Amino acid sequence: MTVLWPITLITFKEGIRNRAVYGISLLALLLFGANFLVAGMMPRNVGKVAVDFALSTISLSGILLVLFIGINLLAKDIDRRTIYMVLARPISRSQYIIGKFFGMCLLIIVTIGLLSILAALSIGSLKALYPNYFERFSWSMILLAVLFEMLMLIVLSALSFLFASFTSTSFITLVLTVITYIIGQSLADVKALVESPQAVGITVSPLTVKTVQTAYYVFPNLSLFDIKLQAAHGLALPFSLVLWTLSYGVIYGTLAIVLASLIFRKKEFP
Amino acid sequence: MRTVLALCLLALLGFGQVLSLMQAGHERKALSSQAGATFVMPAPLFRIIALEFDGLASDVLFLKGLVFRGSTYERTERPIVKDWEWKWLYAVMDTATGIDPYFVDPYYFAAAHFAWDGGLVRETNVLLAKGMAYRNWDWMLPFFVGFNNFYFLHDNAAASDYLMRSWRIPGAPAMLASLASKLAYKDHDTENAVIFLEELLKSTEDKKIRKEYAKRLRYMQGQLTLERALARFKKRHGKMPQTINDLLDRGVLPAVPPDPYGGTYYLDGEGRVKSTSEIQLLVPASK
Repeated sequence: MTVLWPITLITFKEGIRNRAVYGISLLALLLFGANFLVAGMMPRNVGKVAVDFALSTISLSGILLVLFIGINLLAKDIDRRTIYMVLARPISRSQYIIGKFFGMCLLIIVTIGLLSILAALSIGSLKALYPNYFERFSWSMILLAVLFEMLMLIVLSALSFLFASFTSTSFITLVLTVITYIIGQSLADVKALVESPQAVGITVSPLTVKTVQTAYYVFPNLSLFDIKLQAAHGLALPFSLVLWTLSYGVIYGTLAIVLASLIFRKKEFP
Repeated sequence: MRTVLALCLLALLGFGQVLSLMQAGHERKALSSQAGATFVMPAPLFRIIALEFDGLASDVLFLKGLVFRGSTYERTERPIVKDWEWKWLYAVMDTATGIDPYFVDPYYFAAAHFAWDGGLVRETNVLLAKGMAYRNWDWMLPFFVGFNNFYFLHDNAAASDYLMRSWRIPGAPAMLASLASKLAYKDHDTENAVIFLEELLKSTEDKKIRKEYAKRLRYMQGQLTLERALARFKKRHGKMPQTINDLLDRGVLPAVPPDPYGGTYYLDGEGRVKSTSEIQLLVPASK
């Protein structure tokens, strides 16, 4: 850990100094402001829409953070050849990758934490403005939704590290991460659809069903971490589901980062 | 000189962009009102495209429907909302609730608009049944279905059943149980309609819809006053009056209540209270 900490800290500092952070924060601020406009238009479910909007803003900002800052954190070291200076020190390549990943995790936790405070302010003000339009409201479910979102971003980030470990440019890593995010968020719904296609009046071949079912266990199921809907309606989740989802996130993230460090050990730098 | 030229160019470009936006916006509006564009992506497909922004997608869909309905109030042509537009609006609300079945606004929207003005009574009940399966704490949804069954479909048994379901949900008014039992008596229909409408009015906040409910309530109250006066007349004189004026002449009724729809109350051949404005209140034919 003593070896990892300096890398973690320097990665975090490098990330937070990135100017893109200001851009993402500005976008988040604008969207939190827009929340007043959109939620205020609702005849009844102001609370639901306020929470939807605030949590979606956090998600969007988090994804931008992982895609445009996270990926560059690793790629920059390789592109600028500063990685040689780090690897010349008495640390292994695996320690370097893990340290970098922890730095990224810290960046996600701190940034999403700060955005959550702003989100809470936006929801809280709307609640004060429209106290009678917040049915079944629960701060604890909102907090859980934010924690799940953080975990999703950490898993996505671990996957971006995995892609960076074997690709030659950061652009390919970006493309692969975006594709994985889209597949990860929609695969559960696609699986549900191909398993009961009559819901929308389509027919699906058995081969498609099998392919989707196989893909379901290969790609990350990122939609598991999306409990914005439950948070917006203050619907409680079974404790076992929370526990299993957390386990899935931790295991999948660890798997990706272990694989990344294994590949990175064999990687040849130009 | 250069600065002046630059400013002139900027002003010209600014004017040009406003003008082109106005023209394009106008043309676009005409485009969106072309008949037949009723397709709304089904909820299972919409959820795939919405990624992790399901809640937001349902909010946006609902707002789209709400804004459209709002814009129709400015129309002067008849019918205000065309048949295909009702179908499109219904599909929008169906998809919005398919993405987020706990979202209450589309259900209230459906109850307030589709049955009253769109004639989609049975479809509204299907949508509300979906809501009832998820929002099992919300007594208003079975109440709406009960009302639709009573008022539009004239199925008092089903209405009574839904009212009882509504009454069992914590927070529901106690009077729902007595109203449910009263529905068994056909001759209390006007009184029941008054009670139903009073409850609808209490739970509605949309100003336009409240105004409409209040008008219908005044109409039904007027009819109820006349029916009660008829019963008193019959009791006192042992026969039915020939006209409404007989009620006034014999001192059974101090004054005929005004019909808020501008009609005049009269007695039909079977001695029932009717109004010349009843054509406006014709129950939309259920499809």
